[in-house]
Amino acid sequence: MLRLMNLLNFFRPPPLDPMLQVVSGVPVFRECTRAELEALRLHLHERHFLEGEIVFDEGEEGEGMYVVITGKLRAVRRGMLKKKTLGDIGPGESFGEMAMLGASPRVATVMATEPTTVLAMFRPELLRLVEGRPRLGYKIAMGVARVLEARMRQTADGHLEKSLTA
Amino acid sequence: MNRGNPTTRSLEHPIIWVAVILFTLGAIVLLNTIAWLTLPLVLAVVFYYLVEPLLQRMQLAGATPKQALGIFLGVAFLMTAIASVTILPAMLNGLSEFQAHLPEYWDRLQQVIQNNLHLLEEKFRFAKKAKLAEAFQSQIDRFASTSGKEYITDTALFLLHWLPSLLLVPFLAFFFLRDGAAFHRLVLRAVPNAFFEKTLILFDRLNRQMHAYFRGMLGLTLLDTVTLGLGLWALGQGPGIFGFRDAMLLGLICAVFAWVPYIGSALGGLVAVATCAVKAPQAGWMMLAVVLLFLVVRMLDEFVYTPMTVGRALRMHPLITVMMIFCGGMLGGVYGLLLAMPLLGVFSVLGQMFGEIWFDPRLRARHRARTLLEKRLASKDLEV
Repeated sequence: MLRLMNLLNFFRPPPLDPMLQVVSGVPVFRECTRAELEALRLHLHERHFLEGEIVFDEGEEGEGMYVVITGKLRAVRRGMLKKKTLGDIGPGESFGEMAMLGASPRVATVMATEPTTVLAMFRPELLRLVEGRPRLGYKIAMGVARVLEARMRQTADGHLEKSLTA
Repeated sequence: MNRGNPTTRSLEHPIIWVAVILFTLGAIVLLNTIAWLTLPLVLAVVFYYLVEPLLQRMQLAGATPKQALGIFLGVAFLMTAIASVTILPAMLNGLSEFQAHLPEYWDRLQQVIQNNLHLLEEKFRFAKKAKLAEAFQSQIDRFASTSGKEYITDTALFLLHWLPSLLLVPFLAFFFLRDGAAFHRLVLRAVPNAFFEKTLILFDRLNRQMHAYFRGMLGLTLLDTVTLGLGLWALGQGPGIFGFRDAMLLGLICAVFAWVPYIGSALGGLVAVATCAVKAPQAGWMMLAVVLLFLVVRMLDEFVYTPMTVGRALRMHPLITVMMIFCGGMLGGVYGLLLAMPLLGVFSVLGQMFGEIWFDPRLRARHRARTLLEKRLASKDLEV
């Protein structure tokens, strides 16, 4: 019986890379298959940030998106008088997705609030990947669109709430 | 998703321009100094850039990097085996035929040159004074009697010197293909966080520049081969000099010679004229027609083909291109001529990105802040 189990284990694929397990839960990549995630892994760059270190600045030309593996980051925006915190970003969340659509200025500054590990993915590399795998490109583009749509909805709801309570 | 054009940005700071030119010339001198390594290195890089897109495609289709390389090597080995069984005997036959006819060709070539020099002496007084035909004959006699052996010994020594270094080409290319991506990641890992995004863009631009250059060179070679081959074939129809295959082969040889700017084209032209001279010495007009064909192809190269292929890839000002090629030739001989353009392309992208990083005070401030954070973290437990 044990031998049979061992034989079955031989045909079972090895467990997914722990980092890819985190990536597979991120809304942008949720539709991707295991093979697609493994192809994606070749284009993901692991970076480590110290507490207080800036990942990118508001207004800077964005070239890629990030997925948080461990740690925590904070997104802040310049306000009229003081900086405004947009929110915290934790493991399994992504940020900077708009840069995947084009080299547009970052809308907020993101800073690590504790030692953080992220996976970075850059537009030029994604485009090269997508040229060979249009299906994957479609899934990622739809994922980015969904995330942005959710954020816009949140922002619109926030404005509506503010105007109703004012 | 917007791709953007990586080569449209220009070098803005004059110091960077000067640095780019100096680095290019320095690299030419260095590569010329280690010429025994430069040749295999350059050939391996060319091979890498030609094969790498194919491996990328296989990886995107689902193969792992090792599988892709394995499949490629397997197919390459199979094709080499098939070629050695089918093409090699025909090539050896051709070579032995050529060897058998070599003395005859050599006599014909001498005869044609002598005839033309006599014609020159008849037409122009300065040529008669210089006794061109006599001088040429004495050189030929000297070569045949004594120096010929020396030349053969020199050639044999030259081949012995270069063969081991050429054996390095497949070895280097294999490791470039196998470990190129890992090396790329290793280099990127060493880049500080503040400069990481910009450096990635630099790598991407550099990679695209190199790919575009080699694709451009390949396209240019193809266009030159077809134009010269068809031209030579059409010209050779009258006296029956070339068949279609021979004309295309000669076109290809001349197109490869043309990789070395200016000198290469002239050398290619000479080879074609010499071929006409030995094949049909009686058809003097043919040599003139071949020279004209080469001039036309040269013009096409300058004004149509190069801007369409390599020029589009590098986006260089023509004046800078010409100046760099001449300086490269002066400092590094044939290597300088050959490498001036691609090296200038690489260093201009590096200079462009260095300028964007170095002259951005915010990025430098972020890097300083990270260094301070690291120092503070390292001495945290040591504070009294």
